[in-house]
Amino acid sequence: MLEDLDRIGPVLILMVSAGGILLVDLALHERDRRWLPFGALAGLAAAAIWTVVLILRGREAVVFSGTYSLDSFSIFFNFLFLGVAGLVVLASADHVRRLRYQGEFWTLLLLATTGMMLLAGARDLILIFVALELTSISQYVLAGFLKDDRSSEAGLKYIILGAIASAVILYGMAFLFGISGTTKLVAPEGQASIFALIAQGESGTRAALFAAMVMLGAGFSFKVALVPFQMWVPDVYEAAATPVAAFLSVGSKAAGFAVLLRIFYEGFGPDSFIGSDWSNLFAAFAVVSMTVGNVMALLQTNIKRMLGYSSIAQAGNIAIGVAAIAASGGGVSLGASGVTFFLATYVFTNLGAFFAVIVISQRLGSDAIAGYAGMGRRAPLLAAALAICLVSLTGIPPTAGFVAKLYIFNAAVQSDLVWLVIVGVLNTAVSAYYYLRIVSHMYVSPAPDEGDIVPSPWLAAALLTTSVGVVAIGLVPFPLIKAAERAASALG
Amino acid sequence: MQLLFDNYVAVLLATIIGSILVLSALLASRLLAPFSESRQKRTTYECGMVPIGRVRTQVHIRYYLFAILFLIFDVEAVFLFPWAVTFVDIGPVAFYEMVLFILILGSGLVYAWKKGVLQWK
Repeated sequence: MLEDLDRIGPVLILMVSAGGILLVDLALHERDRRWLPFGALAGLAAAAIWTVVLILRGREAVVFSGTYSLDSFSIFFNFLFLGVAGLVVLASADHVRRLRYQGEFWTLLLLATTGMMLLAGARDLILIFVALELTSISQYVLAGFLKDDRSSEAGLKYIILGAIASAVILYGMAFLFGISGTTKLVAPEGQASIFALIAQGESGTRAALFAAMVMLGAGFSFKVALVPFQMWVPDVYEAAATPVAAFLSVGSKAAGFAVLLRIFYEGFGPDSFIGSDWSNLFAAFAVVSMTVGNVMALLQTNIKRMLGYSSIAQAGNIAIGVAAIAASGGGVSLGASGVTFFLATYVFTNLGAFFAVIVISQRLGSDAIAGYAGMGRRAPLLAAALAICLVSLTGIPPTAGFVAKLYIFNAAVQSDLVWLVIVGVLNTAVSAYYYLRIVSHMYVSPAPDEGDIVPSPWLAAALLTTSVGVVAIGLVPFPLIKAAERAASALG
Repeated sequence: MQLLFDNYVAVLLATIIGSILVLSALLASRLLAPFSESRQKRTTYECGMVPIGRVRTQVHIRYYLFAILFLIFDVEAVFLFPWAVTFVDIGPVAFYEMVLFILILGSGLVYAWKKGVLQWK
């Protein structure tokens, strides 16, 4: 028990640094608070280094009576979440300096990251739920952190709808526990687990399993913003501080899909009798999410709302990969590695877009798309960074988004889901309109007023990382694809 | 299906019988009991002080923070009692775990204190 503690070392480090920042913040003078982001970055870096050490020492194992699994999947997502949190720290340093409660912001950010890392490694329903709540509650508070009317409204909407989603998830878990008598998704041969129960075949459990599947699917669809559980997304993204919106858009999505893979791919199994059911469920989610997200994004005049709807559509794209897992008929599944790879590219792309929006909105004082006219001349580098990300979100080469879409569509074709790919490609065409409209707006339209826009060093570093990442993955995708495939192979 | 729903038959029966019992008790008292309306009977307390003011008074929101702080130590006490009974058997691990637990709770109190929660302004 105690000798396994080093395997959750990265999680423990983040927890300790979150608590440490909260306490150090109490003792600091107002002017010394600007050092706090360095504390957060140090904690994240220490967690990343610890993860590297775990890999080097080959410490992969299932620990704590089967509740937590340190495998290539959780390690991949550890790095992903640490990267997301690191970039968000860089992007929010300026924003937080104007806030009254600074230590609390960093603490909540680190705690949310802690929860996400636990989620990616959790193999037990109880741990999944606890980690989910740790993440969600931190995010509710972050969404309402500005404490003005709109931010409070967003936070309240998020917490009420999120609590309902958590209740639905819990009810689904109760069904699973009821039929299997255990909370373990997977267990060694001979022990009771949900996987073992489903592998036995259909013995009077189909109705309950179906109910559990629908409830878990619905609850986690809320967390990853799939239609019809997307109502909160545009409102929360618009009203929350932009760095927080950036964190919500990638963090909770990646964590949600990681758990979905754990529960459905690892727990329910792709070639079990319930496999085609959950495949169809996610195919349906994918179709409505892509369509609704893209059509609604066409109508937006506020760039944060537009990015909100675009993130709904992107969640639909990822759901194609989830649907492709079970439809492959038990062969080698590209679906799971597709989801993992897509999430990794999506992190760079979407964070980059949000970071550019942070800089521009700060200067313009509004999020209106009309304000982006002539940005190509006012701030060439910034406009280029935003354009790269928008092009990548559309899925045009040579960017990361293109490779990711190609990979996930290929996975669907391999699984005989050609109709889903057709819907996806049609939707990509629709999405090109609103993504590229902004790009043309920035380069073709005349600027209403002049004046350079220069990002702060923090934001410049974050933007540089994301832009380079998007292009680098687009040009040389194979190392990341290899890593994603290795990660997904831990589940199958 | 069979396996799943058999256990719920008892719940269903309990619900039905329970509702019948409650409804019949209410109905029987309505039909059988004598009713006498008088001013005395309508008072809140038939003996004792006559209540003043409305029932719905507004409690200051500041009490909420005190209530939360109280709750923390309430929970601590709930955990300390079973721990005190068994910690000799479990050994040093139990002791250090509880020290850690109290330290975490204590840092919560320090945080609230520094933020001025304990001051009534």
